[in-house]
Amino acid sequence: MLLTEMQEQVRDMARGFADEAIRPMAEALDRDERFPDELYQEMAKLGLFGIGVPEAMGGPGFDTLTYSIVMEELSRGYASVADQCGLVELISSLLVRHGTDAQRKLLAPILAMQTKVAYCITEPEAGTDVSGIRTTAERDGDGWRLNGGKIWIHNAPVADLGFVLARTDKEAGNRGMSIFIVDLHAKGVERGPKEHKMGQRASQVGALTFTDVRLGPDALLGDAGRGFHMMMSVLDKGRVGIASLAVGIAQAGLEAAVDYAGTRKQFGKAIAEFQGVQWLLADMAKDIEAARLLVQSAASKIDRGQDATKACSIAKCFAGDMAVARTADAVQVFGGSGYIRGFEVERLYRDAKITQIYEGTNQIQRMIIARELLKKGARA
Amino acid sequence: MKVLVPVKRVIDYNVKVRVKADGTGVDLANVKMSMNPFDEIAVEEAIRLKEKGIATEVVVVSVGVKQAQETLRTALAMGADRAILIEAAADVQTDIEPLAVAKLLAGVVREEAPGLVLAGKQAIDNDMNATGQMLAALLGWSQGTFASELAVEGDSATVTREVDGGLQTIKVKLPAIITVDLRLNEPRYASLPNIMKAKAKPLATRTPADYGVDVAPRLTVVKTVEPAGRKAGVKVGSVDELIAKLKDEAGVI
Repeated sequence: MLLTEMQEQVRDMARGFADEAIRPMAEALDRDERFPDELYQEMAKLGLFGIGVPEAMGGPGFDTLTYSIVMEELSRGYASVADQCGLVELISSLLVRHGTDAQRKLLAPILAMQTKVAYCITEPEAGTDVSGIRTTAERDGDGWRLNGGKIWIHNAPVADLGFVLARTDKEAGNRGMSIFIVDLHAKGVERGPKEHKMGQRASQVGALTFTDVRLGPDALLGDAGRGFHMMMSVLDKGRVGIASLAVGIAQAGLEAAVDYAGTRKQFGKAIAEFQGVQWLLADMAKDIEAARLLVQSAASKIDRGQDATKACSIAKCFAGDMAVARTADAVQVFGGSGYIRGFEVERLYRDAKITQIYEGTNQIQRMIIARELLKKGARA
Repeated sequence: MKVLVPVKRVIDYNVKVRVKADGTGVDLANVKMSMNPFDEIAVEEAIRLKEKGIATEVVVVSVGVKQAQETLRTALAMGADRAILIEAAADVQTDIEPLAVAKLLAGVVREEAPGLVLAGKQAIDNDMNATGQMLAALLGWSQGTFASELAVEGDSATVTREVDGGLQTIKVKLPAIITVDLRLNEPRYASLPNIMKAKAKPLATRTPADYGVDVAPRLTVVKTVEPAGRKAGVKVGSVDELIAKLKDEAGVI
C-alpha cells in the first residue's frame, strides 16, 4: 500500500525504536514475565500511546492506518509491548468518543503511562458471549455499587484504573450493560494472582473481584445501558490493532528465518539454497504481505468512514491464522534450534497463538464475515 | 543566537549500495533515502543548544532534489523551527559539488545571519569532508571540525576535536562553523506529536539562482566500481604458523 510521507516517517521511527529499544529486551521480558515500565515511560515520551487521540485532546491525532503501521512495527519488536499500545488506544478511543470533559482529563496521565488502565469485560461465564456477564452495578444514592468479578484482564495486576462492563439492568439484555471507570485501588477491589501464559508473557494478566465497590456519579462512561454498544464502537479499530500485531509477529519470524537460512550450512551449503527451504520462506513472505494489505485496507476503510466491519474481521481472522502458521514455518526453518528457549522464533510461535483468540476468536470473526455476507451480499 | 544546520539527503546507511551497470555512479532508483547520520547529530546538538537556552532558533537547510523536503521534515520533527530547501534540478549527490554547496550555504548565512553553523563532518554517500571547511573559508569564519564535545559560552565555543591519536580541545570565536563527529551525541527519535506538528512548520523553497551560484560540476566522474570482493580466508594449523604468516605474509609483526 502506498503510504504518505508522514506515514513512512512514523513507520521508520517506530521501526528504529523497536529495533533499538524493544527487540533486544524481548527475550528477557518473556522469560521473566516482567512489566517493562521504564520502556513504556520512554514510549510515552515519544507519543506512542493514544496515537489516534486528537491534537486538541493532547494526542498526536493520527489516523487508523498510521496506528496500524505503528502496531506492526512495535509488535515486530515484541508483541506484548504492542498490545499495551493497543490497550491504551482502545481505552483512549472510548474516552474520546464517550467521555465527559471531566473524564477526558484522564487522557493525559493515561497517555503518559502514569495511570495504567485495564479493560474489564471477560468473566468466567462470559467470554465470547458478553451478554452473559454477571457483574452488576446497582444504584446507590447518587452513584453506584459494583459487585462481581472479571478474569483474564490485561494489566489487572498493575492497573490503576479499570474500565468495567457491568450490568445495570437485568431485564434489558444488551441494552442493560454500562461501562464504569473504576479506581482499582479503591476499597472492595481485590486482585487475583498473575496468570502464567503461553505467550506475550510480559503482558500482565489476572482476575479482579469487586465487593460493594462504591462508585461516584461521574464513574459512568457515556449513557447507562449503552456499554455494549460503546464496546462495539471501538471493536473495528481493536481488530485492526490485533491484526497488525499478528503481522508484526510474523514479519519478525520471516526476518529471523531469512537470516538463519542464509547462514546455517548443511551438506556444504547454506540451507537457503535448498528449494524446500526457499518455498517455506516464499510462502511466509506472500502470506505476510497479503495480511498486511488486508489490515491496511481495513484501516483505510475506517479512516474514510466506510462500513469496515467485514474488512476488519477478515483482516483479523486472516492475520491471526497466518501468524500462527507462518511462525510455525519460521520454527521449521530453524529446525531443532527453533524449538529451544532463547531462539526468537520459539517465542514468536508462542506469542502468535493468542492472536487467534483475543479481540474476538477467529471462529467469531468467521461468523461475522458470514453474517455480513448473507446480510449485505457477496459484493458489499 | 540562531543556529543553522545544513542537512543532506543520502542513501540510508542500512542500504547495500549498488553501482549502476554503466559505472556512472550508484543506483538510486527505489533506494531508501534518509538524513545523513552526521547531519542528524548536528540537528540534535542544535536542538539541545535551544533546550539549554543558548540557541533561540534552529534553521535547517538542504540543497538537493524536491524530495529533500522529507529530510527537512524529519529535522523539523526532531525539533528544528523552520526549513529552507534550495531546490536543484539534479540530485546533489551526483552533481552538486562541495564548493557549490558551500557557496549556496554562504548565501543562506548572509541572509539568515546565524551565530553558529553546525554541520555533519561529511556525508556518508561521497565522504568528501569538505563543505564545512569551504564554508568557513568563504565566510572568513572560525572553524572547529570533527567535534566530539561542544560548549558554547558567550561569544566563543570550546570544541573537543577527534584527531588522529587523541583529542584536541580548541576555543573558537563566534560566529563559527562546527562540523560534528559520531560521538558528539545520540540523536533523539522524533515523537509522534512532533511528527504531526512538523507538517505545519514553515519550509521555504529557493533555487541556486537566488544566490547567484552556478552549480555545474567541476569534477568529472571517470568510473564507479564496486569494492573488490573479499577473498576466502585460510585456516592455520598452529599458533606458530599464524605467527609466521603475520610476520612474512601480512608483515604486521
